[in-house]
Amino acid sequence: MSAVQKIEELYNERGKRAKELHDAGKKVIGYFCCFVPDEIITAFDMVPYRIQGSQNDPIDEADALLEPMACPFARSCFNMALKGEYDFLDGFVAPHSCDTIERMYHIWRSNKPSPFNHMINVPHMMGPSSDVFYRKELDYFIKRLEEFSGTKLDQNKLRDTVKLYNRRRALLRELYALRKENPPRVSGTEITKVLVAGMGIPALEHIQLVQDYIDEIKGRPVPKADVLPRIFLWGNEIDDIAFIRLVEECGAHVVMDDLCTGTRFFWEDVSETNDPLDGIANRYICTHCPRSLKPQVGNRQEDMENRFGYMKEFISQWQANGVIFYIVRYCDTCELEGPDLREYLNSLKLPVLMIEDDYSTSTIGQLRTRIQAFLEMIS
Amino acid sequence: MNDTKKYYAGLDVGSVSIKAALTSEKRLIASSLIASGGNYKDGARKVMDDVLSQAGISMEQVSGLVVTGLGAESTPFTARQISDISCQAKGCHCLFPSARMIIDIGGQFTKAAKITPEGKIADFLMSEKCATGSGRFLQVIARILHVSLDDIGPLSVQSQKPVEFSTNCAVFAESETISRIAEGAKAEDILAGVHRAMAAKVSMLVKRLKLEPDVVLTGGGGEDAGLVQAVGCALKVKILVPEKPRFSTAYGAACLAEETKA
Repeated sequence: MSAVQKIEELYNERGKRAKELHDAGKKVIGYFCCFVPDEIITAFDMVPYRIQGSQNDPIDEADALLEPMACPFARSCFNMALKGEYDFLDGFVAPHSCDTIERMYHIWRSNKPSPFNHMINVPHMMGPSSDVFYRKELDYFIKRLEEFSGTKLDQNKLRDTVKLYNRRRALLRELYALRKENPPRVSGTEITKVLVAGMGIPALEHIQLVQDYIDEIKGRPVPKADVLPRIFLWGNEIDDIAFIRLVEECGAHVVMDDLCTGTRFFWEDVSETNDPLDGIANRYICTHCPRSLKPQVGNRQEDMENRFGYMKEFISQWQANGVIFYIVRYCDTCELEGPDLREYLNSLKLPVLMIEDDYSTSTIGQLRTRIQAFLEMIS
Repeated sequence: MNDTKKYYAGLDVGSVSIKAALTSEKRLIASSLIASGGNYKDGARKVMDDVLSQAGISMEQVSGLVVTGLGAESTPFTARQISDISCQAKGCHCLFPSARMIIDIGGQFTKAAKITPEGKIADFLMSEKCATGSGRFLQVIARILHVSLDDIGPLSVQSQKPVEFSTNCAVFAESETISRIAEGAKAEDILAGVHRAMAAKVSMLVKRLKLEPDVVLTGGGGEDAGLVQAVGCALKVKILVPEKPRFSTAYGAACLAEETKA
């Protein structure tokens, strides 16, 4: 089976591999967002599983417990859990990333408890005291995992898993570099499948898969250069290809992203520090999620640069000429970040289209005319 | 009929109605409108046949066609597709070269677009799935009041003391309307209040794009004098309305067809 086929299969049958591992006696730990270090879970010889929703299925059972104006992504995940689709999870970990995830954790634990349940408290204001606080929270997370597994955390193993995940990060960056070309050697739709495929399998397996995939892409004939608009996508959780495929079908290349299912979770390496937890804590607390606030620096312009400056490289090196904010409805952290970020991107001469959408593939078609108009506007 | 004349057509397949416009040298020769119903293909054919017969020509004599709107994909014609927002911008620019801002109040959505002096879109916004800023809101209220849609505008402008709506939600406004009727409020005051609520919603979209005159109001909303007045008051500017506000997108599509062929 080619890497493309394997990715297709993993994308379509999510949870299948994790279920196999669970049935074989491995402990599978489900978690949300970008604030739960995979390295720690893997160092305990357990399998981290990034919990996803399902944009193709209506939310029904979850609405008996959660309000419909809560984040539809969170509701969709919980809906799947209530229907037994996450019964293979041996553990359930939620960070306090946003209020919905934090509150839902409690409702989830009450209604669908896993053998192991844990919440990691992640400070919202970034700064020296937050690093210390988060580090303590990770110590506590490790202590709970030690109790659950009956084994002590092996520092050497943790050092190894830091290296392992950095290898995966480097490979994903290599894959992303292929998007710099004109036209990109790999589409946004394809990339999404690769990333989603990696959410439910051990890192080592994903590394092999991405390596094979890159080799296959490099063997493809080089396409002719074109003049289609190049889109930088900003938002939250996109674990389905529907939206990105629509943008690409409308005549654009999605070349780069700042999404929690994209660069946000893998772009920066963990420093290989003497005490591996130092590197881990420093890396994860700095995740670029709009739920985190950086203390204000200098005047407004300097402050914006401090908050959003990291996107400059994404935009210049991938030659994006338009930005789409794709926000899962009711994500107030994203929506409140929107006005400042729009202003910043406009100052870089980049037009922005903001789309707020239900977490559902059935609403995608309605967005077509808006995307077409935006592409006509920028091309 | 002058045989050397070149004809162009624009077809706007909207969620509520399908519109066709026939132009020659960017002058509107004929127009036709039909309720969309369940079959876009039939509707599209009907309005096209209608404009062709009005002009006394056949489809072969049409030098270019552009199709737009939500249902552009399901028309029986092979033609270039351009988004309705671009067509709207072109249509308004051709009608009013001074236009810099377009507000389109349609059956499902309200759109606001900023256009350049050349008639290209500079930025645009759409009301998300919220009925308060769209024609649907008026339809709901008109049904409760037993007022026909054409009478809404003339009634509303007679109002002396518009009802203040405490909610910005169409669903809640429906029950609020019923309460006000029970309290004895007059139909014209309720309608004027609805127009104010809609105008507040619409002007929020416009302000997000930063208001720049001249402002053109199109779509079914443009046929409602009460709504036009309320939007003008909310934005404190004069509002330009095309002679046939529901056809500006189809007209713009025809203009674009003309430009690509020229």
